[in-house]
Amino acid sequence: MKKYDAVVIGAGNGGLVAAIRLLQGGAKTLLVEKHNIPGGFATSFRRGRFEFEASLHELNDFGTPDNAGDVRVLFDQLGVTDKIEWLQIPEAYRVISREEKIDATLPFGKQAFIDKMESYVPGSRKSMEKFFELAEEIRAAQAYSNSVNGQTDQKVMLSEYANFVRCGSYSVNEVLDALKMPKRAKDILNAYWCYLGAHCDDLSFLHYSSMVIRYITKGAAMPKSRSHEISLAMVERIRELGGDVWFNTEAVKIRTGADGGVEGVVLKNGDEIQTRHVIANCSPHIVYGRMMDKVDERIVKETNARKFAGRGFTMFLGLNKSADELGITNHNYFLYDTMDTVKQYDLMKTIESNSVQATVCLNRAYPECSPAGTSMMYFTTLYMSDDWANVKPEDYFKVKDYVANKMIERFEQDTGCKIRDSIEEISVATPMTYARYCGHPEGGIYGYESQYWDGLMPRLLMMAEDHKTRGLRFAGGFSMRLSGYSSAYFSGDITGRQTVGDIKREG
Amino acid sequence: MAFKFKKQIFGFMDLLRFKKLVPNRRAAFDAASSAPLPKTYKVNETAKILHPGNQKARLAEITLVTADTKTYTFELSKKMFFRAGQYVELTADVDGSTVNRPYAISSSPLTSLREGKLSVTVKKAGFFSNWLFDNAKVGDEMIIGDPSGFFHYEGIKDAEVVVGIAGGSGITPFYSMAQAIAEGSEDFRLILLYGAKTEKDIAFKKELDALVSDNFKVVYVLSDEKNKKYENGFITKELIAKYAPEDFTVMACGPQAMYAFLDKELAAMGIGGRRVKKEANCVGVRDVKKAVYDLTVHIRDDVYTVKADNRETVLVAMERAGLRVPSKCRAGGCGFCHSKLVSGKFSIAGADKRRLADLKFGYIHPCCSYPDSDMEIIVPAGLE
Ligand SMILES: Cc1cc2nc3c(=O)[nH]c(=O)nc-3n(C[C@H](O)[C@H](O)[C@H](O)COP(=O)(O)OP(=O)(O)OC[C@H]3O[C@@H](n4cnc5c(N)ncnc54)[C@H](O)[C@@H]3O)c2cc1C
Ligand code: FES
Repeated sequence: MKKYDAVVIGAGNGGLVAAIRLLQGGAKTLLVEKHNIPGGFATSFRRGRFEFEASLHELNDFGTPDNAGDVRVLFDQLGVTDKIEWLQIPEAYRVISREEKIDATLPFGKQAFIDKMESYVPGSRKSMEKFFELAEEIRAAQAYSNSVNGQTDQKVMLSEYANFVRCGSYSVNEVLDALKMPKRAKDILNAYWCYLGAHCDDLSFLHYSSMVIRYITKGAAMPKSRSHEISLAMVERIRELGGDVWFNTEAVKIRTGADGGVEGVVLKNGDEIQTRHVIANCSPHIVYGRMMDKVDERIVKETNARKFAGRGFTMFLGLNKSADELGITNHNYFLYDTMDTVKQYDLMKTIESNSVQATVCLNRAYPECSPAGTSMMYFTTLYMSDDWANVKPEDYFKVKDYVANKMIERFEQDTGCKIRDSIEEISVATPMTYARYCGHPEGGIYGYESQYWDGLMPRLLMMAEDHKTRGLRFAGGFSMRLSGYSSAYFSGDITGRQTVGDIKREG
Repeated sequence: MAFKFKKQIFGFMDLLRFKKLVPNRRAAFDAASSAPLPKTYKVNETAKILHPGNQKARLAEITLVTADTKTYTFELSKKMFFRAGQYVELTADVDGSTVNRPYAISSSPLTSLREGKLSVTVKKAGFFSNWLFDNAKVGDEMIIGDPSGFFHYEGIKDAEVVVGIAGGSGITPFYSMAQAIAEGSEDFRLILLYGAKTEKDIAFKKELDALVSDNFKVVYVLSDEKNKKYENGFITKELIAKYAPEDFTVMACGPQAMYAFLDKELAAMGIGGRRVKKEANCVGVRDVKKAVYDLTVHIRDDVYTVKADNRETVLVAMERAGLRVPSKCRAGGCGFCHSKLVSGKFSIAGADKRRLADLKFGYIHPCCSYPDSDMEIIVPAGLE
């Protein structure tokens, strides 16, 4: 029987980083992936003369060599930064909301952002400055926490990062109200909320503000050859470090021993790999629900307690006119019905009532991403309930077209750009597509929702307590750092390093 | 720090709330159900009908369609739904080795969904197709893959009317579309110009004629036989103009020679780009002086060295050697055979359809790459 120090199940963002960390820590590592290519959502695909990005709108917290974000620092340590050609995203976002009649375009850079906000909402400056000050402190507290591997000293926290602790239990809206931020400024600032997938009454302020400040001060990045370039670069790195990567190889069982801990991984063809350490880049629901024979009742309860975050829907368009010709001026659009995020969240529960979209025109960041005279766009939304479960197979293709049509109409109405007659290629991914592709329950693309009780802070505080099975840890969107590229990378970094420690301690 | 964040009148309440984060989360866990975790989910189950993966299928019926063409109807082990026009990969054991080829589905989507049946119609031409024609028999078990490909109507960008241009065995996806329109699983108007050599070579004539409606029309065009009942010659721009309305989308499926002719006709009509869709053909042999190279193949932790004839693709070399390796479209477009090149030189048949990062990191599509030297590649595992 083949034997490895550790097996990583799934070559998504979390799994890829975890594998590199294991190898850097000296562990003999096997990465198995059920698809023929790496990346999970982080991939690309070709249609006609276009190569579409499958998921990445913009990579948060990457920055530039002289203003490096934490993801760049991580990539440097992994040894992959220079294998990838990077682009900078030109502006933060344009948000359009019907109810409040908002149409605002915000730049990167703290001062520029505050100034622009003041021009849209006179009198907002003071509260915005406070917001950034708080966010800055939160980031510093997180850096401190990382530097001591999560073992923070309460005295240091209270003396150095008291604001972090004071606002640590509040939602986005509670804190912004306490800062007396004018409503319209709040509305504009909250535009990124759908990137995290929980409404601003639920979403932890710590989480939101630390994301916003990273975007605004570090900008956002994009690999030139789509996220497939990052995924292949990581595989390259794994092989350089002597790791094995097996594609078209699905893990179906994690075998446990007398102590309940990991003993091996069974592959779909029946082969078994002997190992005492597994990092799963798939959800606890799948691992505990299907891949393990005996699961402790407490683990079942904890898994049942969690709520699935948004199920994805994306439309990809290859257009036979340039962005200029079509009048598409921005890289990144958020189109909402309302900035009342609770109301909006509810509208996002059904196929019928959801009209939200986060839309990207990649040519605005990288004009050469498609042939001259063409452009490429992708439109994403999230469903905050399992409504796609109600779609019968025989209606599936019609429902898919219904949503795609609605997205095109909405974009045309809200921006005034006419795109329909220029569509040369179209491809649509639904929750069914995502369910098949990455295997996640209900076609979720965002892991477990960051509900108030299950937000970033309590998850981090309970990291040690959540680790209940010897030799089994999780990486990726369903693990402790929540979803999104950066979070998935960081979770792979943490669990990879933790597992290196486990191997040293437990063998 | 310049200011002190305070939400509660007494700042210590904020601290207290923070301290409660962990107990709160524990309490939520305590309160949760201990019912067994679900084994599956509704959306994931629907996804399995749309993408059932490789499945066993029993050959239930074989019918002779024309002298050199047969329809093979399978009983599926899993339900399936697809877009009319898509293909499946068919895999069988041929003299001890596993061989697979893509074939357009010739039956309707609802037949697969409701009756669990699926048909392909295959002309006797080529290694696997010949084998099927001469050897396949009712009761045989084969493997059928996912419905694949994009040769189907796309309501959002296509015109309301599709002019279908079929050449020879290229009729199969259109036959599926005509049935789909009749049963309501597809919603567009199809005007089918179907080119065959002689009257005898027309497949499904009776069936197609019976499907004619407001939304489906068929025109037979014979190239090698003068016959007053039909149009004669090739499918020219004049012929297209005669039957097509103002605005239409062209969907063409047929041999390479037909595409070359059609391209010129369509260009002369000013039709192209988003209004034209062609189904790709499998990559064949190339016409060069024969040379044989060593091909080293890594699959998981196994290593094989096999012979590769430079006139055939790298994929074929691996298959001839009995290696189980992945493939689907065999035309360079689906990326399913995506493999890492360790060393060696190769040439690509037709347009390079790889992703940008594949070029950068040295990945190839073996189904459309011919060896120009000894080669070493890392290949994902095939069917198992
Ligand atoms: C349309 C879309 C847009 C998005 N936009 C952004 C954005 O702009 N910015 C951002 O930060 N995030 C974005 N995200 C979210 C981001 O893509 C995900 O959060 C992130 O990729 C999750 O990474 P992961 O590590 O969880 O891996 P996943 O991508 O979930 O991959 C898991 C991998 O594991 C494999 N696997 C699962 N089970 C097994 C098994 N049993 N055996 C073997 N292999 C297995 C799967 O095949 C898959 O490759 C977007 C997502 C989508 C879908
Ligand atoms: S089999 Fe489709 S690209 Fe090779």
